Amino acid sequence: MNRNNFFIHLALALVLILVAAFAGQLSRWRKQWKPPRIVPASEKKQPTTSDEIALSETRSFGSPEVLVKFKSGVSDDEIETLTARLHDRVEDRIENADGFEAIDDLDNADPASVVAEYSKLPEVEYAEPNYEIKLDEEDAEGPLVPVLPHDPQFENQWALSNSGQKGGKKGADISATLAWATTTGSDKLVVAVLDTGVDYTHEDLAGNMWTRPDSLAPYHDAELGTIDDVNGFNAIDNASDPMDDNGHGTHCAGIIGAEGENDLGIAGVNWKVQIMPLKFMNASGSGTTKDAIEAISYAIDRKKAGVNVRIISASWGSTQRSRALEAAIRKAYENDILFVAAAGNSSVDNDRTPHYPSSYDVPNVISVAALDRHDQLASFSNFGAKSVAIGAPGVDILSTWLGNEYEEKSGTSMATPVVSGVAALVLAEHPRMSVDDLRKKLLASTDPIVALKGKTVTGGRINAAKALD
Amino acid sequence: MATSKNDAVENARKDLARRLNINAADIQEQSVDDADFPDMALGAPEDGEMSGQMITNGWRIKLKAQGQTYEYRADKNQIRAYKFKGKNYRI
Repeated sequence: MNRNNFFIHLALALVLILVAAFAGQLSRWRKQWKPPRIVPASEKKQPTTSDEIALSETRSFGSPEVLVKFKSGVSDDEIETLTARLHDRVEDRIENADGFEAIDDLDNADPASVVAEYSKLPEVEYAEPNYEIKLDEEDAEGPLVPVLPHDPQFENQWALSNSGQKGGKKGADISATLAWATTTGSDKLVVAVLDTGVDYTHEDLAGNMWTRPDSLAPYHDAELGTIDDVNGFNAIDNASDPMDDNGHGTHCAGIIGAEGENDLGIAGVNWKVQIMPLKFMNASGSGTTKDAIEAISYAIDRKKAGVNVRIISASWGSTQRSRALEAAIRKAYENDILFVAAAGNSSVDNDRTPHYPSSYDVPNVISVAALDRHDQLASFSNFGAKSVAIGAPGVDILSTWLGNEYEEKSGTSMATPVVSGVAALVLAEHPRMSVDDLRKKLLASTDPIVALKGKTVTGGRINAAKALD
Repeated sequence: MATSKNDAVENARKDLARRLNINAADIQEQSVDDADFPDMALGAPEDGEMSGQMITNGWRIKLKAQGQTYEYRADKNQIRAYKFKGKNYRI
């Protein structure tokens, strides 16, 4: 071999070694690769990690049937000859287990008889059936896997996942991460936020805002005339733009449905949903009974026109009773719309001093008290063993604010959209559930809280995962 | 338009002078304190007024005139007379 040929052969040999090494590394990478921790929202009831999965063994009747350990010194050729003689074939050689072969019986004989056959051979150390390892069915259906979004401020959302941050009580939350293993919401469902409007351009809300579809004509009311309600309804000036000029409504909207898993800000109780802004409170956060009624009527009319409005979230109130407002809420009930309302912030017993609309005795009303991160009734929260249904986180709640901002706010105003959000999750999973059944389901889906015992109807904090059971 | 604490005190003084029909100079500023009010009507809703049930930061302004103390409540959005002769007023 001359000098040039030597170098050509050397170069070729090096290339072959590199290709082989790369192929080997690829194979190792493939074996080592594990799926990401986040479970796709569309999939239900995923296990957490492989080491938490309960295993069971079952006999396999597929191929290969048996695993055979040949004695040392038996060559590959001898093994091939033996298996061929028994009308079998070597399906695989087990790496890292010298002399261990997976044998496929070409006659499809019972694995036990194949094992017996090989066990008799002097060249065989032992043989055993090939066990198929399966997930235990019961456990595979069992524990839900928490689903954590990548929204950068999620770690500050103690109401959804309380890990004890800022000295809070671990687990004092609505179990949102477990609920998300079942559903993260539905963009077919419309939740009306009856409030100061909503900043529908907020980057964390824009994708979840309701807009009037082209197929639906602009809103027409005999008294108000025709209103171009492309972004919702404004009952204050009836000029159609429900843009928030306060921030309160935007905050409530974010709790219900800030876009989840979008790498921005926070996650709502629903990652996807349609928020319909109904503005009836002004820039100071106050409004009139008449405008509230007009906005409720709008939602009902839109429902009748085919918009899937199933929930009205009402983070407001007063101590003044209005029969007209009560009648409007009852009309919403007759149209299968849930009405979730704030219990009020005066630290009083609503059984003695009612707060409206939360104290109206209408079957679709759910009155909500506020809890803090320690599972204590918030110092400001109203309560009522007969008139306040349920508790929900309502202190230092982080949510969307005007100008693409985020702020922490407190109040039964904040607890109310938490319950509205859970109601939306339930409807995402059970779209045809009636308002009666929905209310029953929510009230039956609580964690008992000592601080709420004798203070609310249920004595518990809403639990989203239980609501989706 | 956002209201500052000083503006709120000044407007409260003018309002009280008008209600009592006296000179604003005859009204003393007793105290001005930061406060958390229970709702967006600052715990001083007018008749029939609904308000957001969010804890709202603002100022509690106490003015003294003719031997009596009068309370006003304000935040960056509004000023209210609290229980003036038994009633709340948004000014």
